[in-house]
Amino acid sequence: MKAHRWYAPWVLVAPALLWLFVFTIWPSLNTIRLSFTNAKPLGGNFSWVGGANFTRLLDDPPLGRALFNSLFFMVVCLPLLTLLPLLLAVLVEKPLRGIAFFRVAYYTPVIASAVVVGLIWTWLLNDRGIFNTILQSMRVISEPLPFLTERWLIILSAVAVTVWKGLGYYMIIYLAALGNIGKDLHEAASMDGANAVRRFFAVTVPGVRSTMTLIAMLICVAALRVFSEIYVLTGGTGGAGGEAMTLVMLIQRYSGGFEGNLGYAAALSIVLFLVTLVPMGAIAIYNRRQDS
Amino acid sequence: MVQTQAARTRIGRGVAVLAAAGLALGMAACGDGGGGGGSTSGGDGGGDGEITGSITFQTWSLTPTFQDYLDGVIAAFEEAHPGAKVTLQDQPGDGYDQKVLTQAASNSLPDVINLPPDFALPLAKVDMLDNLAESDPGMGDVYVAGGIEAYQFPGLDGTWAYPWYLNTDINYWNTELMTTCGLDPAKLPTTDAELFDQAKTYSENCTDSYLMSRAPGVEDFARAGIEVINAEGTEFTFATPEAAEIVERYVTAYQEGLLPNSVLNDDYLGNSTMFTQGQVAWSTGGAPAYANFTKDNPSLEGKIAINAALDVPSLYVQGVGVSAQSKNIATARAFAQFVTNADNQNAFGKIVSVFPSTIASADDPYFSESDGTVNGDAKVLAFESLSRAKALIPVQFNSSMGTILRQQISLAMRGDIPAADALDAAQKEINQMLADQA
Amino acid sequence: MSVPTADKALEVDLLETRAVGDPKRKRKSLSFDSVSTGEKVLRYVFLVVMLVVAVGPFLWQFSTSLKGPLEDIYSASLSLIPSQPTIDNYIAVWDAIPVWKYIGNSLLVAALAVGGNVVFTTMAGFAVARMKFAGKGFVIACFMGVLILPGEATIIAQFVTIKNLGLADQLLGVALPGMVGALNVLLMWNAFRIIPKEIDEAAVVDGATVWSRLKDIHLPAVRGTMAVIAIFAFIGAWDDFLWPLIVLTTPDRFTLTIGLQYLAGTFSTNQRIIAAGTMVAFIPIAILFASLQRYFFMGVEEGGVKG
Repeated sequence: MKAHRWYAPWVLVAPALLWLFVFTIWPSLNTIRLSFTNAKPLGGNFSWVGGANFTRLLDDPPLGRALFNSLFFMVVCLPLLTLLPLLLAVLVEKPLRGIAFFRVAYYTPVIASAVVVGLIWTWLLNDRGIFNTILQSMRVISEPLPFLTERWLIILSAVAVTVWKGLGYYMIIYLAALGNIGKDLHEAASMDGANAVRRFFAVTVPGVRSTMTLIAMLICVAALRVFSEIYVLTGGTGGAGGEAMTLVMLIQRYSGGFEGNLGYAAALSIVLFLVTLVPMGAIAIYNRRQDS
Repeated sequence: MVQTQAARTRIGRGVAVLAAAGLALGMAACGDGGGGGGSTSGGDGGGDGEITGSITFQTWSLTPTFQDYLDGVIAAFEEAHPGAKVTLQDQPGDGYDQKVLTQAASNSLPDVINLPPDFALPLAKVDMLDNLAESDPGMGDVYVAGGIEAYQFPGLDGTWAYPWYLNTDINYWNTELMTTCGLDPAKLPTTDAELFDQAKTYSENCTDSYLMSRAPGVEDFARAGIEVINAEGTEFTFATPEAAEIVERYVTAYQEGLLPNSVLNDDYLGNSTMFTQGQVAWSTGGAPAYANFTKDNPSLEGKIAINAALDVPSLYVQGVGVSAQSKNIATARAFAQFVTNADNQNAFGKIVSVFPSTIASADDPYFSESDGTVNGDAKVLAFESLSRAKALIPVQFNSSMGTILRQQISLAMRGDIPAADALDAAQKEINQMLADQA
Repeated sequence: MSVPTADKALEVDLLETRAVGDPKRKRKSLSFDSVSTGEKVLRYVFLVVMLVVAVGPFLWQFSTSLKGPLEDIYSASLSLIPSQPTIDNYIAVWDAIPVWKYIGNSLLVAALAVGGNVVFTTMAGFAVARMKFAGKGFVIACFMGVLILPGEATIIAQFVTIKNLGLADQLLGVALPGMVGALNVLLMWNAFRIIPKEIDEAAVVDGATVWSRLKDIHLPAVRGTMAVIAIFAFIGAWDDFLWPLIVLTTPDRFTLTIGLQYLAGTFSTNQRIIAAGTMVAFIPIAILFASLQRYFFMGVEEGGVKG
C-alpha cells in the first residue's frame, strides 16, 4: 500500500538531518581526525602522530579511575532518574487546585545555572550544612561527613544533585507520555478492582514503556558525561588526589585553555563515545526482547 | 505540484549550505594547523602611518562600573586624533579565556585587547601580538620594571603588552574572632611561622571557626625562595625538600585541626567567603576587598584589621596588548600607549584601588596618603607593598596545572601519601603538560 | 476530524474486556475523574514535600535578592527572611545593565530555537515513526548516534563554521546550531510511535494524504511532546552562556545570561544585585512553562482521535 510518494519522508527528515550533520556530526568527525594529531587550539605544531594518543591512554592512571567514576555514577543515577520522575509525573497529573504552581516549582531546579546550583549545594553539604546538622542531631553520626572531599561521598552527593536537577526534566517527558494512556484503560482497571498501586504497575508502567526506554538511554548518555556537578561541588579539583574526577573532567583538563592538547582530548572523547555504546546497546537489546 | 517544487528547492538549498559548510570546515581545519593567520603583522607597511581609522578596544569586565571612565579616555583620544574612532567592547568576566581563544583561533582578535600575562604568552607564541618593544623602544622609561617584565617571556624576544594596572594582596583579619579565640589583634602575624603559631593558639580556644583556611600552592614555594621553574621556562622544579617541608607544615596543621575540611577542595568561592561569613579570621585580598567584605556583610564593619602580606607580597599585572593583525596598527599602538599613560592610569587609580604601572605615578601623593578610613589605609598599605611585590606564580602555570598540584597536596594533607611523593607526582604530570605545549 | 470506523475498532482494541454498549462504560467519566478526599490529602502532602525539596534551596537566593544593604548575606545561621526587605536590588539591576535589550535578544534567539525545533523535529519524527521508507533504520541510527558523538571541545570549530557563514556577532548565528536538537527528534519519534497503527491504516483506506493525516490525526496527538520540546528549546537557548559569548562581541547584542554576568564585575560585586539578576532571568521561563504546562498531557485524548 503506497501511502506516500517516495521523496516525502526524505523531505521531512532532510532539514533535521542537515542541521545535525553540519553542526554536530561534522565537528565530531573532526574530533576523530584530531585524535590522530597533536593539534593545539592555536596554531603551533600540527602533525600526525598516528596512534600515539591512544597508546598514551593505556598508560594514564587517572583515566581508569575517571572511567570507573563515570560508570558508577551512571549506574546509580539510572534507576533513580528513570523511576522517580515517573512517580512525580503521576503525582502532578491530576488537575488538583493549584497544580500548575507545583508543576512549575518542580521544574525550577532544571533551569538553575550550574553556578547557582553549586553555591547552594556546597553550602548544604559542607561541614556545617543542613545534612550534617540533621544527621548529627539525630545521632546517626558524631563527626560531620565529608560530603565534598571524600571520593564516594562526592559521587553520591553529585548523584543527589543530578537527581534533584533532573526530576522536573524527565517528569515533563513522562507527563506527555502519560497523556497518551487513555483514561479508559485506568477506568477499566479500576473497574476490575485494582487499587492505585496495582494500576500503576499494570496500566501506567506498560503504557509508558517506550518512553521509559528512551529516557533510560538519555540518562545513560547524560550520566556518563557528568562534569559540572562534580566540578562545582569540589571547586574544580574532583576531590583530594582527583579521586572523584570523571571522564569529561579529564577531557576538559586537556582541551581547556590556550595550550590544550586537543589530540589527546579527542582520543579521550572517543573513549567516552565507545563506552556509551555499551549501555545503549544493552538497553536497545532489552527493549527488543520486551517487544517480542 | 507546489509540494514538488518546494521540496526540490529545499533540497537544493540544503546541498548548497552543506557544500559551503564543508568548505568552511575544510578551511577551518587548515586554520587549525596554519598558525596565526595569513596576513602579515602590521610592521612597517601602513603601520607607521597616520593615527586614523577605526579600531576596537576590548576590556575584561570593566563595565558598567567604569563605563564613564573608559568613555572619557576614548573621547580624549579621538579628540587628539581626528579621524580615529575607537569602539569599546567590554566582555563579561566569566569565560574570557574562551572568548579570547576563539577570537585568536578565528583570526578575529580585537585591535587593542586587555590581557593578563597568562593570556599574552600563548598568543605571543603564535605571533598574534605586536611586539611593543620594537615599535616603542622608549617604554622602559615610562613603565615600572615589574610591569614590563610581566610581559616578557623566556624564549620570545620582546615585550608583548603594555602593563596597565597593578595589584597586590594584603592581609585582612577579623579582630573580633581573634580576641574571642585568644589572640591579640595588635600583634598580627607577619611571617608564615608566626601565622602557624597563632593558628595553634586559636584552635586551642575555638573549635567552631579557624584562623587559616588555605592550602599551600606554588606561590608559597616561590615566596620561600624556591626556584619553581627553570630559567628557560621548559621545566618545573618545585619538588624540592624545602617545598616538601612547607607542605608538611600544612599537613600537620590539618591533622591537628587547625584547618577546616574545605581546604581539601579549591573552595568554590575561596576563603574570602568564609571570611565574610565569619568562619575564618584571616583572608588575603587586594585593596578593594575591604569594601566587598563590608558590602556583603555590613556587620563586619569595624572588626577588620589589616597588615602587609606575609613574607613577600604577590604582584598581579593587567595589561593591554595590540593585535599583530590589526588593520590600523599605528592607531592601535597609539591608543594602547594612550590608555596606559601616566595621566590616564592615575585617574583610574583614583576611582578604584588599583595602582598605575607608570614610573611617574609613584610620586602622586594620592596613593601614599590615606584619608583615615580603613579603605584608605588598605590602599596605602597595598601601595607600599608594591615595591616589594613579586610575580610569584610563573606565567606558564595554568589552571589545569594548579588543579593537579592542588589534588596531590590535598592527598598529602589527608595523610594518604607523604608530602615529597605528592610534589614529585604533581611535578611529573605538570611537566608532561608543559612538554605537550612546547 | 474523527474517523468513525477507526474509532470503534480502537475502542474494542483497547478496552478488551468491555464491549461497546456495556452500561458500565457509560459511567466512566464520573467515577474515575473524581478524587476522594483521602487521596486528595495524601496527594497534597506529597506535593508540598516535593515542593520543599525542589524549591527550598532557592529560597536563600530569593531572600538574598530582597535583603537590604545593611543586612548580612552570609551569616553562620540561616536567615531566610530579610529583616529590611527592599526591591532596590531589582531596580539596581535595571540601572546597571540594559535588561530589556538583553531580554529582547534572548527572546529572539529562543524564538528561533523553539520555531526551528518544533517544526523540524516534528517533521523528522513523524517521517521516521509513521512512514515506511528505505533507509529509515539508518536515519534513526543517525539521530541516536548524534546523541553520543564525541562533542567535547568542538565549540571553536562550530564558531568557525558560523563565522564562515557570515554570522559571527549575529543573533542568528547564536540561534542557528540550536535550531534542531537530536534529543528532540527522538522525543518526537517516540511520541508519534505510540499512536496506534490502526488509525493510520484506516485513514489511508479513507483516502487521506500524508499531509491531512499529519494535520488532523497526528499533530493533535503529539501536542504534549511538542510543548515539551518547546520548553527544552527555549530553556536551552535562554540559559546558554558560553556559546553566545563566543559568537557575540558587540555588547549591545548580548543575551540576558551574558548581560547578567556584568553584575559580577571586576572590583565591584554586590551579591544582592546578582541574586536579583538571577531571579530576573528565571521569571520568563517560569511564565512560559506555566502557560505551556497544561498541554503536556493533551495526548491522544484531546486530539479528536478517541482512545
